[in-house]
Amino acid sequence: MIEINNLKKEYIEEDTSTLALRGITFSIEQGEFVSIMGPSGSGKSTLLHILSFLDRPTGGSYKFQGKSIDDMTDKELAHVRNKDMGFVFQSFNLLSRLTVYDNVEIPLLYSDIAVSKRKKLIVDAIKSVGLEEKIYTEAGRLSGGQKQRVAIARALVTDPNVIFADEPTGNLDSQSGLQVMEILESLNDKGRTVILVTHETQTAEFADRIIKIKDGMIESDKAIIANRNHRKNLK
Amino acid sequence: MLFNDAFKTSTRSLTHGKMRSILTMLGIVIGIASVIILMSIGQSAQDLILGKVQSIGSDLIIVMPGAPSNGKFSSPASSQGIVITSLKQKDVDSLEREPSIVFAVPEVRGQAEAVYGNNNVTVGFTGSTSDFFQVSNLSKVSNGQIFSKSDVESENHVVVIGPDLAKTLFGPNVNPIDKIIHLKGVSVRVIGVLEKGGTGAFGVDIGNLIVMPITLAQKQFLGTTHFNVIIVQANSTYDVNFVKSRITFTLRQNHSITDPNKDDFNIQTQADILAILGSITSILTFFLAAIASISLVVGGIGIMNIMLVSVTERTREIGLRKAVGATDNDILQQFLIESVLLTFAGGVIGITIGAGIVGLIYFVLTNFFPSVGWVFAFPISAVILGLTVSGVSGIAFGIYPARKAGKKNPIDALRYE
Repeated sequence: MIEINNLKKEYIEEDTSTLALRGITFSIEQGEFVSIMGPSGSGKSTLLHILSFLDRPTGGSYKFQGKSIDDMTDKELAHVRNKDMGFVFQSFNLLSRLTVYDNVEIPLLYSDIAVSKRKKLIVDAIKSVGLEEKIYTEAGRLSGGQKQRVAIARALVTDPNVIFADEPTGNLDSQSGLQVMEILESLNDKGRTVILVTHETQTAEFADRIIKIKDGMIESDKAIIANRNHRKNLK
Repeated sequence: MLFNDAFKTSTRSLTHGKMRSILTMLGIVIGIASVIILMSIGQSAQDLILGKVQSIGSDLIIVMPGAPSNGKFSSPASSQGIVITSLKQKDVDSLEREPSIVFAVPEVRGQAEAVYGNNNVTVGFTGSTSDFFQVSNLSKVSNGQIFSKSDVESENHVVVIGPDLAKTLFGPNVNPIDKIIHLKGVSVRVIGVLEKGGTGAFGVDIGNLIVMPITLAQKQFLGTTHFNVIIVQANSTYDVNFVKSRITFTLRQNHSITDPNKDDFNIQTQADILAILGSITSILTFFLAAIASISLVVGGIGIMNIMLVSVTERTREIGLRKAVGATDNDILQQFLIESVLLTFAGGVIGITIGAGIVGLIYFVLTNFFPSVGWVFAFPISAVILGLTVSGVSGIAFGIYPARKAGKKNPIDALRYE
């Protein structure tokens, strides 16, 4: 599904050049749950931005579902982001004055999905995160955990193949964080690819593969399915 | 993004900040209302002036001393302090012999202090013949009578006065007829009071007018033998332009003029006067609207300013929308619709307020100052202009902030604090 080869990202500001990614190579199959870990400044967020089409690499190649990012216009990238990708951010990025319903509707405004089909999709997405009672509540009135669940519903509403989560538990207490991770895990169980950026080991271990980044390069890339099976057995 | 969705998103954003939206619109509201009010007043004034000129009849021709302006507008020589004595009794006599002319009525004008008892007022007076009342459409008197041909020939000390002057000099309880008033120390007898609401030649307000035999005016008050104007009434069976050419021919003959460029008189028909006045009032209306439109520009800049602030405040929202699939054009469209909605709504409110004020002006002038004869005019062109200008200013002043919003990098926008 995702194939990157010798991926590089260089930021040039005036006379200073910073190499954030120094040649990263890996591939991710459909249905994988991958955590990208690394210390602050390691390049993990830059990598996530490139993987999620929010930024372009300055070197190497990136193929998404077999198609090279180099061949796609900004408009096509926006279309793929809308159709095939869902986003969950550390700071939720909800529009606080809009209701839960209106927030979840936002990606549909930019999609090809007919207006008549939208309501069911929105309600189903909100139900899937257990917030049907808050459907007409303003997002600003929700708790942190609820906000992140709305953000997940918003990420799900266009039925994307892959969900990108950037520190999704970073602003949550441990209980809410656990709930959010369980939702992401269940989405992965249903066949969606989940790519998570985190610096918390406990959160990263929800994945079945952890890629560690340091100084813009891969430090390690390990499958940890055993952890996940153990957690499932505990349930 | 569907237009309906963009429209819904934009209206939602605007209604979330109602007070800000209202204050932002205020500049456009004031600008459009000003344009509407000034265009309406200009149109009303134009209708009023042209209506008064039209009321004198299309068969009247005005002959004035001084060279013609050859199509350019210039004020009469007399108003520039220049005394031109080219029009004499001989000219009136020659014109009256023309078969295409019914009347040739000479007029002189001056100012004098009118005194009756303890009351005094400085007024304009007109000296003319008895035909003056007919050609000037002033033959109706509310009291008494107009002076006769023999009054003119005998240089009788009689005057016909306007209704407002009658009220000023005599008050409401004294009948002015046969009362003696003093003009520049000369005693004259009031024999008639003009009917209220009448209009003199070329829209002269007759409320405070004094009309006297031209012989009296020239000998007792002015000491001249020339005329300020000759009003000619054309025979209706002749074309006015033909009559104009006959007048030209006659006066050139009388004044021994062979070179047409050296004419010492100028002739204006009603159509000439309407054309000049029409262009003057149109220019005035245009300038009034141009001055008012300055406030529109100020209002537009206010909208641009608020939209720029809004783009900055909503940077994270822009980042989010782009992350979930919005293109540059989707964002541009949303902000542009917001801007156009603000200005268009401001335009509609401005037109409504402008119409209300125009109606109020009409109500006040017709009820409290009926003698003005104010006419109601609310040009549809002003409404169309108002709506178009408000919509266009929404685009003009909204495009820069909207483009700025559309060009935002999603990552930078999402990170914006």
